Amino acid sequence: MGDRKQARDEEFQSFMTGRWPRLMRTAFLLTGEQHAAEDLVQSTLEQVYVNWRRVGSADDPEAYVRRVMINAHARRHRRRLKEFLAPRDDSGLAHEVPDTGDRIAQADDRSALLKALAQLPARQREAVVLRYWEDLTETQAAEAMGCSVGTVKSNAAKGIAKLRAVEGLAETVTQGGRK
Amino acid sequence: MSADRNGNHDMSQTDIAFLLADAADEVEIGAAPVQAVIRGGRRRRARRWAVASATALVVAGTTGALAVTGLPGGGHADRQANVANPPASPEARHVYEPQETELSRGMFKGKPWYVDMQVWGAPRNEDEAARQYDAMAARGIEPVDDKPAALIGKTSYFVTRKYGSQRPRQFLFDSRQKLERLSGRDLQFATNPLDDTSDPHGDRVAVGAVAKTAREVTCFWKDGTTTLVKRGPVVYEHNLPKPAIVPVAGYPTANWFVCVAPERTGAKTAEVTK
Repeated sequence: MGDRKQARDEEFQSFMTGRWPRLMRTAFLLTGEQHAAEDLVQSTLEQVYVNWRRVGSADDPEAYVRRVMINAHARRHRRRLKEFLAPRDDSGLAHEVPDTGDRIAQADDRSALLKALAQLPARQREAVVLRYWEDLTETQAAEAMGCSVGTVKSNAAKGIAKLRAVEGLAETVTQGGRK
Repeated sequence: MSADRNGNHDMSQTDIAFLLADAADEVEIGAAPVQAVIRGGRRRRARRWAVASATALVVAGTTGALAVTGLPGGGHADRQANVANPPASPEARHVYEPQETELSRGMFKGKPWYVDMQVWGAPRNEDEAARQYDAMAARGIEPVDDKPAALIGKTSYFVTRKYGSQRPRQFLFDSRQKLERLSGRDLQFATNPLDDTSDPHGDRVAVGAVAKTAREVTCFWKDGTTTLVKRGPVVYEHNLPKPAIVPVAGYPTANWFVCVAPERTGAKTAEVTK
C-alpha cells in the first residue's frame, strides 16, 4: 500500500514538473501578475494532488487540471476583483506609459496586451486565453469553463474584439510583431 | 510609432495567439514547488476528510429530509414545507454579518495568533445568497460552493487562523442545510500550520468539534506528549486563554476546541477522553 502511494506521489511529481511552465504561463495570462499566477497554479495543483488517484488514471488529466484552474480563477476573480487586474510594481512588468525608445517599446507592447487582457471581464479573458493561447477547441474550452460552446464563442469573440480595439497592439502586429 | 492608429490595422486570431505567447513569456518560471504542493494537497485532503465525516453523520440522521432543500432552521424540512416561516429579517438571521466566536488565541515568535469561527445564517433566496456571497468575499472568505445560489438554505461556517499581520486564512469550513450534531465521543478535527511557513515537524494547530456533552479532549502530538483541553469557563494566564472546549455562537449542535502543539513537533491526533 505504501509503495503504491509512493508511486502515485512520484507520478504526480513528474506530471507537475512537466506541466509547471505551461500552467504558469496560462495562469499569468489569466491573472496578469507573477505572484497571483504562482498562487493560482499552486492551489490548482493541490486540488489535483488530492484527486490524483482518479485524475492520474483518467484519459485526459490535462482537461481536469484546466477545469480546476479556470474554476479557481473565476472564484478568485469574484472575490477580489480589482486586486489582480492591473500589473503591479513588483510583477516585473513594464508600465503602460508610452515611450519612443525602441528598447522599452517591446516591454510596452507586452504591457499593453496584459493590461488590455486584464481589463476584459474574467469569462472573456478565460475564453481568449483558452482558445488562443492554450489552443483549445471551442468544445474543450467549454468543458474547461463549465459552460456551453455558444458561451465560449461569444466570450471569445467579444474579448478578441476588445483586444483588437487596442491601438498599439494592432500596430505591433502589422509591423511584423516582435522577435 | 505610426500615425495610422485608427483601426486600420486589424489583428487576425493568429496575431492574437502570437501576442499572447509573447506576453506569456514574461512570467518567471521557477522550479516547480512539488513538496509544497504535496503538503498543501495533504492538508486539503485532511480538511476534506473532516468535512466528509460530517456529511456522513448528517446523511445518517436526516435521510429523506435532505431531499427538501432551501429550508433553514431546526426541525424537519418536510414538516416546514407548508408552514409559513416567521418573517425574520436576513440581518436577524445573520445572513450578511456572521456570528463570530474566538476559539483561541496566543503568541508565537512575538506575534499574536487567533483562531476564530464565523457562522453565517442561511440565505432564503437568490438575492440573499448573492449578498451573502459578496459579504463573504469582502471578508476574504470563500465558501465551499462557488456559486452563490448553492448557499441557499445552508448555514455556512468558517474556522480562520490569523497570525501577526497576515490575512486570516480559512482552513475548516462547510455550508450545510443542517449543522451536524455530534454525540458521544464523536470528534472531527483538522490541522493547520500556526503561521504560513510550513513546519518540517508538521502542523501545530488542531481544531475540532465535539459533542456538547464532551468534557475533555486530549490532543496527541508527534513527540509523544499530549495537551488536555477541558470544557468549562476559559482560564486565562497572562491574558491568554488556556485550551478549552467552547460553545460557538450560531452553532448549537457541537462545541469546538483548539490545541496547539509545542514547538518542534506537530499534531498527530485528538480524542474525546471524558
